[in-house]
Amino acid sequence: MRLTADQPSVPSTAQPATVEAAHLEPGLFAPGDSKAWSSQNRTILAVPHPVLAKLALAVQGKLPREQLNSPSPPVSDEKCVQVWGQPSTLSNRQTFISETHASFTALQLAMKANKMDTDGVLRISGQYRAALLKQVEKEKDNGQYEVFGQMHAVWHLLEILYLTTVKDGLNSCVVAHMLEWLNTNFSPSSLEDSVVVAGRQAKEIAVDKSLWPLIARLAVRGHLTVLANILQGVAKELGEDVSRLARSVAKVARSMPVLSNGEEKGGFLGRWRKWTMSVKDVGKEIAQALVDQPGNAALEGLQVAISIIAGKDEAIAGASQSWQDALGAMLLYQEPTAQADRLPELTDAAAEQFEISDFRPLDNALLVLLKQDLPTFLPLCDQIDSWLSAHAADLLTHLGIIDTFRHMLVVDPRPHYLVALAEQYMENEGMWQVVLDYLGAAGEHEVMQEVIMRVPLSSDRVAQKVLEICEKHRLETALNRILRQLGRQRWRRGRRGAAIADFARAGDNLSITAICEELWSEYMASGVLSYGSTIDGVAGLAHPRVQFLARYRDFHAMYAKGEMKQAGVVLLDILVGELAPKSVVADLLVDAIPLLEGDVLVFGQDATLELMR
Amino acid sequence: MAQSVSRKITAARWLQPRSGKAYNDTDLYFVTGSSTSTSTARLSLWTTPNPDFTQQSIEPTRDFATPVGCVSHEGDVTSIAVALSAPVLATGSSYGQVSVYSIDSDSTQPLVLSESITAHRYANNEPAVCTGVSVQPAPGVDAEIASCGEDGHIAFAPMSRLGALQRYDIDSTVITGICWTTPQQVAVSTRAGQIKMVDRRQPNEIAAAFVGLGNNVAFECVNVHPSQPYRIATGTDNGSVMVWDVRNSKKPQIDAFGVHGANVWSIQFHPGNCDKVVSCSDDATVAVTDWTNGAGAHSVRVLSNHLNVLSINCFDFCPFTKTSLLVGGSDSGNILLNSRSSCDFSL
Repeated sequence: MRLTADQPSVPSTAQPATVEAAHLEPGLFAPGDSKAWSSQNRTILAVPHPVLAKLALAVQGKLPREQLNSPSPPVSDEKCVQVWGQPSTLSNRQTFISETHASFTALQLAMKANKMDTDGVLRISGQYRAALLKQVEKEKDNGQYEVFGQMHAVWHLLEILYLTTVKDGLNSCVVAHMLEWLNTNFSPSSLEDSVVVAGRQAKEIAVDKSLWPLIARLAVRGHLTVLANILQGVAKELGEDVSRLARSVAKVARSMPVLSNGEEKGGFLGRWRKWTMSVKDVGKEIAQALVDQPGNAALEGLQVAISIIAGKDEAIAGASQSWQDALGAMLLYQEPTAQADRLPELTDAAAEQFEISDFRPLDNALLVLLKQDLPTFLPLCDQIDSWLSAHAADLLTHLGIIDTFRHMLVVDPRPHYLVALAEQYMENEGMWQVVLDYLGAAGEHEVMQEVIMRVPLSSDRVAQKVLEICEKHRLETALNRILRQLGRQRWRRGRRGAAIADFARAGDNLSITAICEELWSEYMASGVLSYGSTIDGVAGLAHPRVQFLARYRDFHAMYAKGEMKQAGVVLLDILVGELAPKSVVADLLVDAIPLLEGDVLVFGQDATLELMR
Repeated sequence: MAQSVSRKITAARWLQPRSGKAYNDTDLYFVTGSSTSTSTARLSLWTTPNPDFTQQSIEPTRDFATPVGCVSHEGDVTSIAVALSAPVLATGSSYGQVSVYSIDSDSTQPLVLSESITAHRYANNEPAVCTGVSVQPAPGVDAEIASCGEDGHIAFAPMSRLGALQRYDIDSTVITGICWTTPQQVAVSTRAGQIKMVDRRQPNEIAAAFVGLGNNVAFECVNVHPSQPYRIATGTDNGSVMVWDVRNSKKPQIDAFGVHGANVWSIQFHPGNCDKVVSCSDDATVAVTDWTNGAGAHSVRVLSNHLNVLSINCFDFCPFTKTSLLVGGSDSGNILLNSRSSCDFSL
C-alpha cells in the first residue's frame, strides 16, 4: 500500500492555493462505496510532523472513540506507516551542504579549542567561497544560480572587510581587494563586450557604435590594459589627430601607477600625482580637439574615457551601470590608497547616484555591510538565503564583531540563524547528522532531543550512530527514550537478549524483569530450558532476575551432565543469595529434592539446614 | 581525496581486474552501495585510472572516479562481496535481502540483478537487516555466500541458487560482521562482544566462541588475515582494534589497540603488508595500525579529509595494484580515495 499525491481541482471562486491530496494505493474501498469502509472495522490515523510539512498515516483496527480524540493516538507499529510530505528542495545542494558543513565543523572545533588565528579563519572562509563558486557553476542551468552568486558576492565582501583587511593590517589599502570583488561577482555583460572586438578587423571595430561604450565600461572597471590594447589597435583607423589622442589615452592607461605590497604611501602618491598631471594634459588636448571637431564620436568617446580615468564624478556616474561600478571607479581613480574606513562614505556617494527603489535585497545587504550596519545586515542576508545569515552570524560572532552591536540586538543572532538553517535542513531526513551539528553549535539541546528522537532507526548501525551522538552531547532524555524504544522493538521481534541489553543501558529494570519473567514462564510451561542463548550475551548484567536465570541455567546444565555436587552448590547459591523471586522458590526446592534423595551426598548438614530454612 | 556523490555511501568494493591475474588494466573498477536516507538506494559501478599506469597524480580538485552505471537497490546496501572467479557480486540489504548481481562494465547496464532472496527475518516475520555478506574463498566451484543479520542468524546459499538458502540461529544479539576464514569455516562478530566460529559442515553448532577483553564492548566488524586463518581482526564500538590469534581456542591471544574515537565500522589486514591493520570509523578517520609489536609499542597513522567530517562507513583496498589504493565511503556523501606508492602511509 503506498501513498501518492495529486492536485485536486480548486473551486473557481476560491483563491488559488497549493492544495494537495494524499491517496492510498490500493484504496481501502472502491470509489463511492463508503459502506464497505464502515464495515471494515478499521481506523485511519494521521499525525502531522511537529516541525516539517509532513504527515504520517497508518491504517489499523478500530480504536475506541476516546483514543481517537487523544492528542497522540497510539499507532500500531505492526501496520505499515506511510509518510507523506513535500519533496525536499535540498537535493541539488547536497554537495554544497556537505562541504560547508565540514568547514563549519572544523571552525567550531578550532574556535572552541582556541586554536584558530586569522589565517585559519581566512582559510575556512576561502573554503566557503570555493563551495559557493562550485555551486554557482553547478546551478548554471537551475533556478538557484542567482542565489548562489549573490551569496558569494556577500560572503566575499564580508571576507575582505573582516578578515583580509585584518590580516593585511588596518592601515592597508582595500582598493585592489574591492576591485577583485567587483570583477569576480559583478561581471559586465562580457558576451556583448567580446562580440565587439573578437575576431574583427580594426576598421570594423573603429566604426562600431558599441566601441566607445565598451571603452567607458573598461575604464570604469579598471581594465586599463585591455582598454589600451583596443585603442592601440583601432588608432590608425580613427584619423590622424584622433589617432594621436587615442594613443595618448592608451599610454596614460598603461602607465597608471598601482600601489604594490609594502610600498610606502608617500612614494606612491608622488607617482600618482605625476600621472594625474599627464592625464589632465591629455584631457585638455582632447577637449581642445572637440572644440575643433564637435560631435566627433571618437573624440567624445575618448573624452569620456579620460574623464573617468581622471576620476571625475560626472563621468563615472554616467558610465556606471550600478553603484558597485561607481564605487570601484571612485576607489581606483579618486582614492587609490583608500583604507577600509573610507568605504562607508564612498559607498554613500556611489549609491546616491542610483534609485534606491531599484535596489534588490543583495544591494541592500552589500550597502549595509559596507557601512558596517550589522544588525540590519544579517536580516537582509536571511532574505537572500538562510545559509548566508547563519554562517555570517557564526563567523562574526567568532570574530567578536557581533559583541559591538549586542546592545542593539533583540536576540542573539548566531543561535537564532543556526537553528533556522537546521530547521530548513530537517526537511531532508538523511541530513539528521548535519542538523544535529548545527543545533549543537547553537546550543539548542532541547531541540536536539526532539530531532534525534525522530531519526528513523532503520538499522542497528544507525541506532548506534544516534546513541553515540546522544552520549556526545549528553542528551540524556533522548538517550533513554531511544534505548527503551530499541528495547521494545527488539522484544517485539523476539530478540530478548538484545532487548535486555538496551533496557539495561536505559536503566529500565522493570522491563528487564518482565522479559525474565516471560522467559521463566516459557520454561515452566514447556519444561525445556531454551533461554540459555538469549541471556548468553547479558549474563554479566547486575540484575537479580538475569543473574537468577543465568545461575539457574548453570544449575540445569550441571544437573543434566550428572555433576550433582556442583549443581547443588549452584542451587544453594541461588536460594541463599535470594536471587530467585519468591514465586519460584517453591519450584527450586522441588528441584533440590532429587539432590537430597540421590546416592551422592550433595548437601552437608549446614546446607540442608539452609534449605529447610 | 574526496569526491562528492550526494548520497551516503554504505559499502564499497574493488572488482576483479578484467584482464585476469596477469594484470594489465589501465582502468580499475569499483562498486559502491548507498543508503535510502537521501534518495533511492543504489548500487553504482565506477572506474578510476590505475595508479600503476598513471604518470601524473590526480589533482585534488578533480573527480577521480567516473560513474559507469548504476542500478536501484531494495533497501540500503549494507555490504558487498565480490566473487573470485566470476563477474558476479553479492549484496546485503537493510530489508534483509541477499542479492546477486552480474557485472559487465562494457554494457549500457553494467549491473544487472540476477536473483534476490530475503535471508533474514525476525521471529515475528519482520525483515531483519542483513549486516554482512561474504563470498566463500573457493575459486572454480559454485561459491557460497554467507550472510549475517540483526536477527542473530547466519545464512548460506550458493551464488547461483539463492533459493537453496539455509539459515541458522547462532546468537541472541545482533551479528555485526561475517567473513570466511577458510572455505569451510566462517567467523562472525556480535554485539555481545564475541567472535563465534561456525563450521560450514556443522552449521548448527558453534565450533568456538571467544569473548573480548573488558565488559560491555561490542564488536562492529570482523576480518581475517589473508594467509593466516587463525589471525582475526575485530573493531569495537569504543574505537579499539583487536587482533586475535585463535589457535589455542581456550586461551586465544588478543592484542587490543586504542585507535579511533568512536565505533570501528570496517577492518582489514593490509593486502600488501599484513603487519598492518586498516580500519575506518564513525570518527571520520581511517587508521593504519602496525600490530606486530603488540599493544605496548604499536604505531597508528590516521588519514582524514577536511571535506569529510561524518562517519566513514566502509573502505576496501585494491589487492591487485602495486600502488596502495584505498576507496572508502562516508555519511558526508563522499567517495574517498587514497593512493600511496608504498604501504607506508604518511600523515
